[in-house]
Amino acid sequence: MSPQTALILTLLAPLATAAGIAFFLRRRGGLASALSVGAAAVLCICAFIAISGRGDAALTASWDWLSLGEFKVSMGFLFDDVAATMLAMVSFVGLLIHIFSLGYMKTDKARARFFGGLSIFMFSMTGIVLADNLIMIFVFWELVGFSSYMLIGHYLETDEAKAASKKAFIVNRIGDLGFLVGIVMAYWHFGTTDLAAMEALTLGHPGLVNASIAAFLMCGFIGKSAQFPLHVWLPDAMAGPTPVSALIHAATMVAAGVYFLIRIVFLFPVEVLEFVAWLGTLVAVYAGFCAYAQNDIKRILAYSTLSQLGYMAAAFGLGYPGIALFHLITHAFFKALLFLGAGSVIHGCHHEQDIFKMGGLLKRMPVTSLTFAIGVLALCGVYGLAGFYSKDAILIAGGLGTSPIFVLLTLGAFLTAGYMGRLFWVAFLGEPKSDAASHAKESPLSMVVPLVILAGLSIVGGLIQLWPEGLGGLIRHDLDHLHHAEGYAAMHHEVLIFGSAAWIVGLLAAFFFYKAGAKEDRLALKAPAVFRFLKARLWFDEIYGFYVAKVQDRVAALLSFLDVFLLKGLIVRGSAGLVALVGLGARSLHVGNVHAYIYWFLGGLLLFWAFAGGLL
Amino acid sequence: MTIGLNAFLIVAGLLFAIGMLGVSLRRNTLVMFMSLEMMLNSVNLALVAFSRYNGTMDGNLFVFFIITVAAAEVALGLAIIVALFKRRQSVMVEDLNALSH
Repeated sequence: MSPQTALILTLLAPLATAAGIAFFLRRRGGLASALSVGAAAVLCICAFIAISGRGDAALTASWDWLSLGEFKVSMGFLFDDVAATMLAMVSFVGLLIHIFSLGYMKTDKARARFFGGLSIFMFSMTGIVLADNLIMIFVFWELVGFSSYMLIGHYLETDEAKAASKKAFIVNRIGDLGFLVGIVMAYWHFGTTDLAAMEALTLGHPGLVNASIAAFLMCGFIGKSAQFPLHVWLPDAMAGPTPVSALIHAATMVAAGVYFLIRIVFLFPVEVLEFVAWLGTLVAVYAGFCAYAQNDIKRILAYSTLSQLGYMAAAFGLGYPGIALFHLITHAFFKALLFLGAGSVIHGCHHEQDIFKMGGLLKRMPVTSLTFAIGVLALCGVYGLAGFYSKDAILIAGGLGTSPIFVLLTLGAFLTAGYMGRLFWVAFLGEPKSDAASHAKESPLSMVVPLVILAGLSIVGGLIQLWPEGLGGLIRHDLDHLHHAEGYAAMHHEVLIFGSAAWIVGLLAAFFFYKAGAKEDRLALKAPAVFRFLKARLWFDEIYGFYVAKVQDRVAALLSFLDVFLLKGLIVRGSAGLVALVGLGARSLHVGNVHAYIYWFLGGLLLFWAFAGGLL
Repeated sequence: MTIGLNAFLIVAGLLFAIGMLGVSLRRNTLVMFMSLEMMLNSVNLALVAFSRYNGTMDGNLFVFFIITVAAAEVALGLAIIVALFKRRQSVMVEDLNALSH
């Protein structure tokens, strides 16, 4: 099979499956799930065939999709090193999560809809990864938004899921508006939206490009990757089923924002890069603080995802897109592991999600607990695990760049270890604190196997030397670049000390502060004011709620009144009424009596006479 | 003794007024039609009187045209009234109100 055919198959297999499920298999949950997992497997195999057949050069192919005179929209692939790396991760992690879902969703009534949603998501995500122009990226970008909406709202009988899916959809649209404006500006500026053509036109000098193009395109990233100020949707999106949180809201879709930035890095002048770096750094710290006031296991992980996305943005902004991609990949491994582990725990505890009602899971769910522990250590950046290499590189990049960013990112590393320690000690150690937790049993094989594989990847995934040939070229390039930067050796030691101190101190402090298997949140007891402040998350939801209710709704009501009164009432109804009135008057002259017509005739004659005589 | 122009014009005016009242007041279409002819003929009378008074032939010439046109009109109008009667069994205007709104 040629690489091109394989790439087309990676798109067609999940699309055909999703369509088949939507049209014919809505009530056949078993068949639908088998088909969907099969499609994910085909996608994964085809992806690796394409990667091995790619060679050194980027693989491109393009078809005209729409042509309106001079303006052409094409669909095509730009399968270069970055896309290959991303596709490998998306297809493989996606397959594992599909397999996990088999066990997790076994008793769900709407299984077919769920798996159909997963398939349409895999199709759209692959489309983003392969796309060779901005318009195609945007099309698939909206498709992942749709599948995210559909899957967050999977438990559609709960109000929480309904509200969360709506929120995710609307908040993403705000970012996408900027994205759309960015596309129009890019087309205006370059006369094309093709990535390779635009890169050639910038001549390697992003400073010459209008900074607003990059700034507007960045809005898409802010929405999709849930960065400040559009971060509010991601924690709420945890209302969806846990495999969805793992696949879409941790490993792939939210990371697509960062991937998109890496694809258009040639457009970014220094000022915008600096903005992205600061944005990411602040989100990394902010989300780290927020995680301390959450008791829901999935929401803690959601804030952790936010924080790690902040790290990726920071790495990108510091001028190392390869390192951002590196952290994206390793983060996908361990965060998918953590979410699936959380899913396994939730499954074992009969949908109990409060960590203070768990406890003692280490004895009852040993495999889940051990793999979860590996995930925690990888996320904290313990030496030798996947997270260490990428986070270490980001911290070094920060240290060589701006020192406040370095300080904040190191603080973020402390915070990460702290809240992950809190989660792990409270939920997995000690004694069970609820019936559900005391009756927890290890999950079935289909759920445990993906955990073990992901745990393996979380251990060795950071060793870029072990990656298959043809993957991670940009990562190697940027790491080399970093290693040869001035002052690398000293900074490397410093980061090693600070990074190790961060996870050791964070985990130990969490252990001694919260105590293993605690029943209650000690922070909430000892310092309720601090806890309340953290729980309020800087009141973003309240501010947005206030804005929508008090400002936006009022403007909308005014506009609606103008619409109803002026447009609909006066102009539309009014003009029709006027014409009808004239018609009514004219009709009343038609009495059907010859004599009346004679009088009209005489009247008319008199009128003419008077007019001709100069009387009128 | 000769009869002056004024006398002719008064008669013509009376005839015209009678015709017009007939058209506007009577309800039988046949009678209305006859009144219409009377109005035409009053005009003819006035024209002939003017012609004689001025000593030119213009008015007389006009009268011949009017008579011709009136003959054609009568043929057409009577035919319409006959057709109406065949269809409606009535020639009274109050029965002919198909154009009413």
